Amino acid sequence: MSQIIHVGGTPATFDAFADFFDGHTARKHRVRLNIDNDLGTEMVLLITLPDDAVLRWPVNNIRLVRDQAAKDGIVLRLYDNALARLVIRDDTSTERGLLARCPNLHKRAKVKGRLRIATWAFGAVASVALIILVFIPIMANQLAELLPPEGERAFGESTFEQIRAGLDETGLEPLRICDGGAGLVALNRLRFRLEDQTELPYPLTVHVLDYDLINAFALPGGHIVFFRGLIDNAETPEEVASVFAHEIGHVVHRDPTRIALRSAGSIGVLGLLFGDFAGGTVVSFLTGQMVEATYTKEAESAADDFAHDILAKSGISPIGLATLFERLTEGKEEPTGLAKHFMTHPAAGDRIAKARKAAAKLTDATPAMTKPEWKAFKAVCN
Amino acid sequence: MSISDLQTEFVGRRGHLFWLSLKTSVLTLLTLGFYRFWMKTRIRRFYWSAIRPGGHPLEYVGEPIEKLLGFLIAVVILAFYVGVVNLLLMFASFSLFQQNTFAYVISFLGVLPILFYARYRARRYILARTRWRGMRFGLNKGAWGYAWRAMLHWMLTIGTFGIMYPRQAFFLEKYLTDRTTYGSAQLHQGGRWQMLYPYMWWVIITTTVSGLIIWGVATDTLVPQDLWLLVVLIPAALASFIRFKVQAFRLMANQKTAGGISLHSNPKTGKIIRYYLLGYTLIGVFFLAYFFALGFTAVFAFPDCLQDGQFSPSTCSNAYDLPTWVMTAISVVIYFLTFILWSVLKHVLVTLPVMRHYAETLEIHGALNLRHVTQSTHDEFTEAEGFSDALDLGAAI
Ligand SMILES: [Zn+2]
Repeated sequence: MSQIIHVGGTPATFDAFADFFDGHTARKHRVRLNIDNDLGTEMVLLITLPDDAVLRWPVNNIRLVRDQAAKDGIVLRLYDNALARLVIRDDTSTERGLLARCPNLHKRAKVKGRLRIATWAFGAVASVALIILVFIPIMANQLAELLPPEGERAFGESTFEQIRAGLDETGLEPLRICDGGAGLVALNRLRFRLEDQTELPYPLTVHVLDYDLINAFALPGGHIVFFRGLIDNAETPEEVASVFAHEIGHVVHRDPTRIALRSAGSIGVLGLLFGDFAGGTVVSFLTGQMVEATYTKEAESAADDFAHDILAKSGISPIGLATLFERLTEGKEEPTGLAKHFMTHPAAGDRIAKARKAAAKLTDATPAMTKPEWKAFKAVCN
Repeated sequence: MSISDLQTEFVGRRGHLFWLSLKTSVLTLLTLGFYRFWMKTRIRRFYWSAIRPGGHPLEYVGEPIEKLLGFLIAVVILAFYVGVVNLLLMFASFSLFQQNTFAYVISFLGVLPILFYARYRARRYILARTRWRGMRFGLNKGAWGYAWRAMLHWMLTIGTFGIMYPRQAFFLEKYLTDRTTYGSAQLHQGGRWQMLYPYMWWVIITTTVSGLIIWGVATDTLVPQDLWLLVVLIPAALASFIRFKVQAFRLMANQKTAGGISLHSNPKTGKIIRYYLLGYTLIGVFFLAYFFALGFTAVFAFPDCLQDGQFSPSTCSNAYDLPTWVMTAISVVIYFLTFILWSVLKHVLVTLPVMRHYAETLEIHGALNLRHVTQSTHDEFTEAEGFSDALDLGAAI
């Protein structure tokens, strides 16, 4: 509590005028202010209205109205009276005198209805969680099966464009698509070879994006995307072929369609929660979801089985899957990109072993690409 | 000017607003957006208290916590719609039309009545939390009535290529004004919609001629060089639209009455255009310097961050042996800092001067009748402006 200013042992007299609005009518009252400290314990501000009625404001209960633009005065209120206002303007001595006598000017009012706020906060979080974690996934799983092939392809195309724009760090133009002619021809020859062994209702499309990350992913409708980082890191065409086959496995099982539908539903809901303040980050967060998609353990193992199967049918050794992941996960504490996609589940070691086993079974393998093809493919982004 | 005419003063200063909005924006960033309810409330308190009709400030008494509560309520109600309905629309759109435009259009149309509803509710909340001379303002119930009227007016306006816009502007404003109260006094909007028309002609002429030129070039009737005319026409269209807004505000304010009290407003179009022009030019110059400084820092202080002349966080973290998350954090901070600077500068260089001009050119006539105004009842209004906040209608203040 601040001290009252004493002048020569006796309390300074306080006598001033101010404007007063009682909150019952719009009328302005010119009032006289005095301090009553006769009661000894509690000091009271006496507000004498023009009709000589006196209001008593205990100084402990007086609050300052905050964030006022004006510097030429102050507005005071009583903490338990929402309506009445005392305005002191162009009168610094009265202002100082009052401010010095009121000890709780900045004390905040107790938050009313905390329980109610907590209940609604819980309700908001719960309903968003329920919608994002339960409703949307269930619906997305169902709808993914029902989406006609043309719709799925179009969905994939629009997602691809969103990701290209989302991954761009400069914010100027979408990520570059690599089109090194001969390299792309080689990749497409591999595509034909694998595609022959599948029964998809649409042709596969394969893109290479000029991006550092060691990764590849599938989008709805048979769009498969390699990042340059993966091509730089691959040592044999079999490694590329095995990743390719694995991603085709996801396409066949419509895993990317599920994830993409899920994020289409979630973007709006998350945007609702964070407001415009983080609109951009929500979208890029969900782009990340798509690129570093983490599918269920079952989906991964189904995609592996599918890959081993079509690689065997196309006469390509599945050993690439084992060698690539062994190299990528070597000596790294925190797996990123493709390694993360692969290492998410504890059974990663099993999957490497499985790939080795599938490779051992295949005795008459032919290379996934010829030497010139491989050379051209490695340079696809130059 | 008689004894019962009150002038309005405006006492808000830029420096004060600058620090207030900077401080509250930074707090909003640090609290992942939670402080925004406090930020909006505090900035409103500032603006309201800066406006002093007859020497007495307006007061904004809204509580941040009720805004938070309103927002939470709106999230509970809207999350289902936004999530599930949008997902279904996306699905239907790709299944039937192989593209998502349909989904966006339907979802926009579906959300439109809610937007108008939310706008009315937000206005009601703000008025219910605004006081002058101790008396509460208020807005009666009628949000759905506003929503369907607004939909019909917009249809008519779009259907007539904007010719009916003054009619829409007048009747929507009248709908709001006729439901607004100041204490026991009921506001009334007088006048006719045709009175706004003299200010609409230039808007129609400039936009029509611009449209014809674009159409002419598109159909090869005109040569592409004729597009140069747009350099003059588009600013002219913009200026005439601002003129319409300013003068419509003036004309409608002058026809507002409440229990013998009336308004007299006289804002100058030229001044408002000058504030916009100057404000946005200064902001533009600032951001030019800001982005130049960022680029300069990237090129000279961290040359190894550049890859093919472009900044790349991953290259950067490799070159300086920084963990990727540090680079990500720096990028995120710069991203938000840009938004914060934009909103702070807009407050200080555009909103404040424009509001000051509107305030200083407003008089209240018949102020003697103020003594008959008594208090109105408190409007509890649990959901505050939650819908508006959740849908981010972005009221200027
Ligand atoms: Zn996978």
